[in-house]
Amino acid sequence: MAPDLFSRLVTLASSLVLLSGIAVLWRHSLEAYIRAFARQSFLFVVTIVLVAAQTGDARLYLVAALVFLMKVVLIPNVLQRVQRHVGADLEIHPYVNTPASLVITGALTLLSYAVASPVTTLGSVPTRGGIPLALATVFVGLFILVSRKSALSQIIGFLVLENGIALLAVLATFGVPLIVELGVFLDVLLGVLVMQVFVYRIRETFDTLDVDRLKKLRH
Amino acid sequence: MIPWLLEALQCLMTLILAPALIGFVRLLKARLQGRRGAPLVQPYRDLAKLLGKERVVSTQASWIFRAAPLVLFASTLVASLLIPLVAAPLPFDRVGDLIVVVYLLLLGTFFLALAGLDTGSPFGGMGASREMTIAALAEPTIALAIFGMGAGAGSTNLGEIVARTLANPGSTLSSGHLMAFAALFIVMLAECGRLPVDNPATHLELTMIHEAMILEYSGPYLALLEWAAQMKFFLFLALLCNLVCPWGVAVALRPGTLSVAVAALIIKLAVLAIGIALLETRLAKLRLFRVPELLGVSFLLALLAITTSFLVR
Repeated sequence: MAPDLFSRLVTLASSLVLLSGIAVLWRHSLEAYIRAFARQSFLFVVTIVLVAAQTGDARLYLVAALVFLMKVVLIPNVLQRVQRHVGADLEIHPYVNTPASLVITGALTLLSYAVASPVTTLGSVPTRGGIPLALATVFVGLFILVSRKSALSQIIGFLVLENGIALLAVLATFGVPLIVELGVFLDVLLGVLVMQVFVYRIRETFDTLDVDRLKKLRH
Repeated sequence: MIPWLLEALQCLMTLILAPALIGFVRLLKARLQGRRGAPLVQPYRDLAKLLGKERVVSTQASWIFRAAPLVLFASTLVASLLIPLVAAPLPFDRVGDLIVVVYLLLLGTFFLALAGLDTGSPFGGMGASREMTIAALAEPTIALAIFGMGAGAGSTNLGEIVARTLANPGSTLSSGHLMAFAALFIVMLAECGRLPVDNPATHLELTMIHEAMILEYSGPYLALLEWAAQMKFFLFLALLCNLVCPWGVAVALRPGTLSVAVAALIIKLAVLAIGIALLETRLAKLRLFRVPELLGVSFLLALLAITTSFLVR
């Protein structure tokens, strides 16, 4: 692939990753949140494959396959089961409403461009166009975490944030060593499983997933 | 001499093909919904019928009511001279760029809203207020998307953008280009009153936007308004497909390349029309209060277009 085309495709894929993160802020149903996360992970896999094809690094293909299994198949399935089990399907009143969320996301994107500008102006990696977008994905994930009330949406926020960090690693350094990648995978998987148990417990104790209600000790 | 004939050809194509495009979308939608649907020529018949009827104008109406259809029709027709439908460097490229095109189309919208208010009917006022809300939200998106496209090509001149894209085909895959296309597509849905923003097939009073504004019109005035709306839809679609996929647009003025360009334009429009028909069959109309959210998404797309194509080269 020509380097020019490669960097264009990488930027396109990273902006699509960011957009599917933003899709979470636009939608209201938790099912759509989970689908948006699965889509984002899939686009992330596409980005890894692009980088792997360009660098010819066989380990990156392995990483792509693992990410696909974990984040496109396994975690969305677990989350869907949780969602069906607890029967919560709408994020009704987030702390920040949708139009404001979208405007804030735009501001966060500009912020990440400002923050990443030293890297992108001085760096010479062909993937530098995607670095601010990966950073913006991290910010968006963080924003989902703090602005949404349902425990499930917060898990999605965490996962979006994690996708952003992983994307940043792939774009900035063409992937971290496999052993580190495996450690992160295990961490994320365990994190999701533990959080899933928490969701069940919250649901059982408080009869709702709204973390706002968790302020009272006794209900 | 030839370039002026070309402009005349573009104008004529817009006038003649616009009703067919609407008829095609309606026919496709009908088929997708399991109906037989009206034939392709039905919009022409409607226009001919309306042009032959008498006009009924309220005694309360001022000159704005009479002028609005003419302004809308004329401004849309002028916009057709500036958009590269079949050939890229047009003689009128010196007169106006993408910004002029968009604001010519918005000028028509503005007069239509004034006309809706003019007769003082409650529906007209409701439609005008809704239309202006949507136009006000769509406008920053359009401006940003234009600059996103322009930053990629180094000029907001439409002929220039098309020529640059043709010379450098890889740039169609750049993020800025595609995001700007997506943003403009959403804006097109809002500006042309398509689903999920407005339902073009209904006079249901609670949901209508465009229909509410033209409710007072009849006869030739109504024909002009309908025709102008069809031309606007045609122009928006032609603009979208020639900006994102300019192949087929004639760069050299020979009869062979021109006929290829006309055929290519019709094929591209048909593809986009099929996409819109599928979309409109799948989507329900958004609640009015969710329209700002949709336009917020398109604003974000336009913002991404400009940041990815401008801030990191």
